[in-house]
Amino acid sequence: MVVLKNFIIFILFIFASLFASVVYKKNHDSNKDNRPVIRVFGSSSFVSQWGPGPGLKDLFEKTCECRVEYMDSADSTIMLQRLKSEGRTIGADVVLGLDQFDLELATQGQEWKKINLDESSFEEEVKPNLVQSNLVPYDWSLLSFVMRKSDFKQLPQKLDDLMGTDFKGQIVMEDPRTSSPGQQFLLWLIQLKGEEKAFQFLTNFNQHLHSYAPSWSTAYGLFQKAQVKAVWSYVTSPVYHVVEDKSTDVVAIDLQEGHPAQFEFAGIPSTCKNCEAAEKFMALLLSKEGQKIVMEKNYMFPVIKGVKEGTLFASVPKYKVTTLQVIPNISDRERILKKWAARRRGE
Amino acid sequence: MFVAFFESVKYVGHLLPIAFLRVYLGYYYLQQAMIQFRGDFLLRPRLAAQIAEAIPNLHVPQWYRFFLETMVIPNWQIFAFGILALQFAIALSYLLGYVVRPIALIGIILSFHMLILSGPQMEDLYKTFIAIHVIMAWVGAGRCLGLDYYFFKRRRGIWW
Repeated sequence: MVVLKNFIIFILFIFASLFASVVYKKNHDSNKDNRPVIRVFGSSSFVSQWGPGPGLKDLFEKTCECRVEYMDSADSTIMLQRLKSEGRTIGADVVLGLDQFDLELATQGQEWKKINLDESSFEEEVKPNLVQSNLVPYDWSLLSFVMRKSDFKQLPQKLDDLMGTDFKGQIVMEDPRTSSPGQQFLLWLIQLKGEEKAFQFLTNFNQHLHSYAPSWSTAYGLFQKAQVKAVWSYVTSPVYHVVEDKSTDVVAIDLQEGHPAQFEFAGIPSTCKNCEAAEKFMALLLSKEGQKIVMEKNYMFPVIKGVKEGTLFASVPKYKVTTLQVIPNISDRERILKKWAARRRGE
Repeated sequence: MFVAFFESVKYVGHLLPIAFLRVYLGYYYLQQAMIQFRGDFLLRPRLAAQIAEAIPNLHVPQWYRFFLETMVIPNWQIFAFGILALQFAIALSYLLGYVVRPIALIGIILSFHMLILSGPQMEDLYKTFIAIHVIMAWVGAGRCLGLDYYFFKRRRGIWW
């Protein structure tokens, strides 16, 4: 079989040439970096160039004698899936970007290392979320409707005010099936009104919506492009407009019903490969310098005291907090989301 | 061999359009392989990440899932090297028109795996690639403007 002989020689030649090229490239790479690697799993927005990831990486690499390698995922469910399949083999040292709803899934079949914390240094609003000493919040914010003052004669003060004609087709919400803020709104509404009344409210409310966006960034993009007048977002979002647009026109409304809070958590999986460096990274994340980077890049409140003072974040008004008292378990949330989807389809 | 390369146009000139498609696909594979070689495909576990993200949505037999989870993800460097080498092999084979039929079969297998692992946004591309590889193998595209003609003329057989 001449062809087989030619084929095998050809394939072997390719493999040998590539192997030689890889070895040559490795030996002659001027940027060769032999420092140990710490692998950090985070959301795409966290590790992107405009997120806090690069700043934290630069700050950490100055002192740790190691290299931070970010592994980004589109959402936390995919990230946890990757953690399960890659974590034990390739290794994952720190995981960022989990919210309250992810904690149950994160602790199913995955153990986390205990993190030593000085609870007294945390902001009061954050302390109730420190009950799990292995998954620690690193930023937070309340959620509200964000809008431009100039678009309305009078800003709404309660949810029912959003049913006015001014808002018809002018509100964009996040889809609770794919977005954490969207899910926060739905569960918060159920807590406020009870399940049946909440769905009754939604039936009317949906008629006032421009659309349900698949993610917070899509929803906020519509608001920024002035395609809608109100968006479900963070009470810290107006700070972004002060910094970037030099505008104080954008505000987060103060609802009489209060506001749900979203916390983002970080942890060290027990399967970490570079655990010592992971602990140092967590310490940096929860230090004043690290928190300042997270606050300024993520536009979220810091969890540590003494960080936001003297910044624009300190001028964000105090809102009434109505944190979810009980977070429904995964199966209950699935049931609620299915019900939401059915109502949305008009069933 | 050099004479046979151009002589092939005289005798199997009807395959010329297919030869252009072959060369274009070879060039495409070379480009993709060079991007991966110059980038960090062999240095960072991009392959492992891609597979780990794809696994929850895969509709594949249990053994294939098991193979991905226990063999490919932990040994991603070996598999990444193998995939890159095969991409270079397809590129050179198609550009030179050498051992095109057996290489096209490898192209079908490689594209089939990528079709499974790349998600719906790349589905059409890899389906098209599979169709082109099938055509390459079927017509023996290396026999026109390719080195395969030299061997075909002397050895015959279904593999040239």
